[in-house]
Amino acid sequence: MVERVKTGISVAVATLDFDAELMLRVKEGDGASFGVLLEKHRTPVVNFLYRMVQNHAVAEELAQEVFLRVYRSRGTYEPTARFTTWMFRIATHLALNALRDGKNDRLQERLDDDSGELPVKQVFDRRPSVEQSMVYEAKMDEVRRAISVLPEKQRAAVLMHKYEEMEYSQIAKVLNCSESAVKSLLFRAYETLRARLAHMA
Amino acid sequence: MKVKVMMNCPLKTPENAHLLLDYCARQLELESMSVLERHIAVCSACRNFTSGQRTVWQAMDTWEAAPVSPDFDRLLFRRIEVQVSWWDLLLRPFTTVTLRRGLSAAAMTCLLLVAGILLESPVVSPVPVTTGVMQGVVQVDTVQPEQVERALDAMEVLDQFSQHLRAERPGSKL
Repeated sequence: MVERVKTGISVAVATLDFDAELMLRVKEGDGASFGVLLEKHRTPVVNFLYRMVQNHAVAEELAQEVFLRVYRSRGTYEPTARFTTWMFRIATHLALNALRDGKNDRLQERLDDDSGELPVKQVFDRRPSVEQSMVYEAKMDEVRRAISVLPEKQRAAVLMHKYEEMEYSQIAKVLNCSESAVKSLLFRAYETLRARLAHMA
Repeated sequence: MKVKVMMNCPLKTPENAHLLLDYCARQLELESMSVLERHIAVCSACRNFTSGQRTVWQAMDTWEAAPVSPDFDRLLFRRIEVQVSWWDLLLRPFTTVTLRRGLSAAAMTCLLLVAGILLESPVVSPVPVTTGVMQGVVQVDTVQPEQVERALDAMEVLDQFSQHLRAERPGSKL
């Protein structure tokens, strides 16, 4: 167990160093390193933004802005924090701005519009019955709606905790708050979700 | 993460409530896990919490995000290209290696020249640039405050310009 923990820590440090090192190479003018960073973080960033704004087109647009900002900041980049913390801080900032700027005005509409976007494809690949597809879609729609009603910061904290498997300290740095504030945010968010999704047991 | 005090129910001590989340996510140490397990066995509130939390996470697992569009990178690189091209256009006259090497010196000289022009007072001594560029001294007999402000503004703009030039090395274009 201890060895596993130690290995985990060394892997985390190695990951930190690798990403930061890549970014420092980008700073020195190595475009290929930016490509490696993009390849590695593209999907997590898009997925996080998609779950935040719940619209795939908007999420991709925001993700492009994230990577553009990362690239633009290469000249002034200093590895003072984990690369992912820095990147997710940019992503969260953009997502919260997009939600506040009214890009989510038609959120409800989009929830309906987007509801069949991915699941249909994935479920179709597994060749489920029509009933199974409908049950799956209904479940997913409920999860999406339950998450969409969470206050923005709670939503960001839950998504980073659940899907990105970030530690409390890292989420705190991304959201620019204390670790105890993150624990409190998560506790309240999950409390809401438990109440709304209890019937799915 | 180690559970130090497990005499109280985590749900009744707000600072320990996250331990139940960590327990559900199996992020606790083995020893702490077993301490919590013993507590959960006798605490119905914590049992409900953990079973509810597992339901939430199972439900959340069903929400898979759509795959990233195949043209995501192409669009991103196009946006980067547009920005880089804009800078290239601006920097085209300064792209030779020799000029790049002496960039800071050239920027400093320009800065002094512009400062001299902006000061434009009736009696301005010639800009006495001595051996090193950094040692340039501007002697001015009469300077108005606005002139100084304008000169400082110009210096700042040139400084920023010089920083951008340094940042844009030949290999940076993707």
